[in-house]
Amino acid sequence: MKKQYAFALFAAMLLILAGAVMAGSGKSSDAAMSPAIGATIGDFTLPDTDGKDHSLNSLKGKNGVVVIFVSVQCPISNAYNDRMSKLADDYSARGINVIGINANKTESAEAVKEHAAAKHLSFTILKDPGNKIADLLGAQHTPEAYYIDAGNKLLYHGRIDNSTDTAKVESNDLRDALDSALAGKPIQKTTSLAFGCSIKRV
Amino acid sequence: MRKLLPFIIACSAIVSGFAVSVLSSSRDTAAVGLRRGSQTVQSSQTKAHPATPQAIRLVDLEGVKKLISSDRQTKPLLINFWATWCDPCRDEFPDLVKVDQDYRGKGLDFIAISLDDTADIKSTVPEFLRQMKATMPVYLLNVNDPEPVIMAVDKDWGGALPATFLYDAQGKVVFRHYGRVKTPELREAIEKLVGSKQ
Repeated sequence: MKKQYAFALFAAMLLILAGAVMAGSGKSSDAAMSPAIGATIGDFTLPDTDGKDHSLNSLKGKNGVVVIFVSVQCPISNAYNDRMSKLADDYSARGINVIGINANKTESAEAVKEHAAAKHLSFTILKDPGNKIADLLGAQHTPEAYYIDAGNKLLYHGRIDNSTDTAKVESNDLRDALDSALAGKPIQKTTSLAFGCSIKRV
Repeated sequence: MRKLLPFIIACSAIVSGFAVSVLSSSRDTAAVGLRRGSQTVQSSQTKAHPATPQAIRLVDLEGVKKLISSDRQTKPLLINFWATWCDPCRDEFPDLVKVDQDYRGKGLDFIAISLDDTADIKSTVPEFLRQMKATMPVYLLNVNDPEPVIMAVDKDWGGALPATFLYDAQGKVVFRHYGRVKTPELREAIEKLVGSKQ
């Protein structure tokens, strides 16, 4: 019995230490670290807005997949609706499919479905309940994009372009990355930053 | 088990205290060495606490760098990036207004940098600030490419809003949070700075 008490005590101390680490980090606990460029992204499965499961690999095109974290309510994400649809149309023909992931706990699958129909979004949107995939990919905000190649290697992570205002776009970072990859050239800019709405995690 | 209970509690307290102590020092060492300062951009910030909202000024990349440069002054500085269209930003704003009221007189500088459209500088943004009874200096970011600003502020920040950064008097980040700030944690971090009369 003494051994059991000692184990219980040890476990309790470990739990307390872990809790203190989580609480005291000072940095946001809302987002996990993103995988490094070049890392392999394991296959995962998420439901679409009708509850039907899809795996990443089943949605992937012959040249890979672009995953974009999106939102129903975020004005920045919404500023990119047309651009995301155009991206999906342009690159599905070139073997790269676009999928959206909604990881906001505040936005139901039904709301996501209605929003996609209203905004004529031309790509599949998956729901990420519990933000497990947002955590896996270290996604912080919407819209935030990832290009994963046919071999599931992460080649680009960041913004779609530099401005919500199409008239001010000077740097088409995501398209440039995809074009480079399709041309068999190294991607010049593999990560990029822009402001966005924080993902509402559980 | 009853006999062991006091022992468990004592050990727990010791371990918790040790963890918090280790973490506060590791947070300091891990913090990004950002620096603060700007006499020009920030001149009004050290004035007495005003009763009405201050005029909103545009700030570009160089202006933001000056705001966070350590050459500027020797007081702790709180910076909040926000926008009127950002729900968690609006949600946390009353807490931040209260923080400003409670700590400005104790030596904390606080500036808010809005990511609203520059066209809203005389409409949506001041209207919201009036509603909030906000009196801290507010800037509106005027850049075409946000990336250099995000990188200048915090290399780990992906650009998610809201984002809150607390610098000590030496210009080092001692607290940062992406998303809606947890007010008690922020206040605790501020207390450590103003309480020690840096």
